[in-house]
Amino acid sequence: MAKAYDHLFKLLLIGDSGVGKTCLIIRFAEDNFNNTYISTIGIDFKIRTVDIEGKKIKLQVWDTAGQERFKTITTAYYRGAMGIILVYDITDEKSFENIQNWMKSIKENASAGVERLLLGNKCDMEAKRKVQKEQADKAFSSLARDILLKSGGRRSGNGNKPPSTDLKTCDKKNTNKCSLG
Amino acid sequence: MQPAERSRVPRIDPYGFERPEDFDDAAYEKFFSSYLVTLTRRAIKWSRLLQGGGVPRSRTVKRYVRKGVPLEHRARVWMVLSGAQAQMDQNPGYYHQLLQGERNPRLEDAIRTDLNRTFPDNVKFRKTTDPCLQRTLYNVLLAYGHHNQGVGYCQGMNFIAGYLILITNNEEESFWLLDALVGRILPDYYSPAMLGLKTDQEVLGELVRAKLPAVGALMERLGVLWTLLVSRWFICLFVDILPVEKIFSEPGSLSMATVAKLRESCRARLLAQG
Repeated sequence: MAKAYDHLFKLLLIGDSGVGKTCLIIRFAEDNFNNTYISTIGIDFKIRTVDIEGKKIKLQVWDTAGQERFKTITTAYYRGAMGIILVYDITDEKSFENIQNWMKSIKENASAGVERLLLGNKCDMEAKRKVQKEQADKAFSSLARDILLKSGGRRSGNGNKPPSTDLKTCDKKNTNKCSLG
Repeated sequence: MQPAERSRVPRIDPYGFERPEDFDDAAYEKFFSSYLVTLTRRAIKWSRLLQGGGVPRSRTVKRYVRKGVPLEHRARVWMVLSGAQAQMDQNPGYYHQLLQGERNPRLEDAIRTDLNRTFPDNVKFRKTTDPCLQRTLYNVLLAYGHHNQGVGYCQGMNFIAGYLILITNNEEESFWLLDALVGRILPDYYSPAMLGLKTDQEVLGELVRAKLPAVGALMERLGVLWTLLVSRWFICLFVDILPVEKIFSEPGSLSMATVAKLRESCRARLLAQG
């Protein structure tokens, strides 16, 4: 039987509770936004197949509960992930400070050399912004392989493009490594 | 479906949940018209059982509970069978003291993050409803966090407490029922190490391997960890998918017995899709 895809990539979303991980994943997988999300308990996943440079890429995106104690469950999924998306909320400084802790969890649990992506969510709430883009660039510029981009839950930072477009762009960069690695 | 036909089933169920867009009214009516007979028979039996005022502990009650407690008796039956009523009677005023306890900003923030994300499909939890149950939910969770500092607040408790509030319509009773569950019936489910939860997930995996080897093999082949399927079910005590009567009368058996039934009913579908 022919495979329905050329490559399978497993991605993982992590970050503090309430930063909008589930919103992003639903926007990405179903191109859908609504205001009625429920707290993610434990771990969940969504699948989307995208075409990149003529290849069918099946993306398995794992969504996790953000509360600290759930790490006891979710870290089991780090090792199998080829890419990890760290999400913070630009209106919540604490969620940005905690990125360091999430980085540490990656170091302790994920495969060496896993692709990482830092994502500032809720860019549509510019008036409430607490974390400046420069701050994020500065704090994580040493992670050369990381790609920094902003994405709003409702709208991406640069206009009407849905975040799925942004995510695809970043996957494109990452896939070269993911697919060969 | 015809509009006239749709309107016969209320858009909101007795608990306040909105029926989903794709709700099948015709199938529901068909099912309910025959189920109503069963419900009525049960209601008569329960009324007879409870007419003395108390809730007896007997084999009969156990059997009745397994089949489901009628909505109008749930709060009372749960309170007695779980021991929550006894605790509440022995500690008058305790709940309100907890609410006035020393403030804990971390706890408050953690709870607040989940208020909007608890049953958004239930009209009673909407901010536009007055009184809005979000306030009640906040109080119950905050009091519990002060009461049981080893657990504090664990995500998932919002759904359990929310459900208890919907059933009891009573803040203090919801608190004591939550304590029965989190503090006594499932003590290590919600604590930071979540050992009870992890143990039960492993036990489930073992059970499936032993009883349904084909399903076990499929899971292994797909490399799926059991947590993916069951962590939400276990942590939320199935409140969003199944009736939850039994837990208060037969706590130990809840997770495994429920999953045993579920997995039988899902087995064929699982294997077909695998």
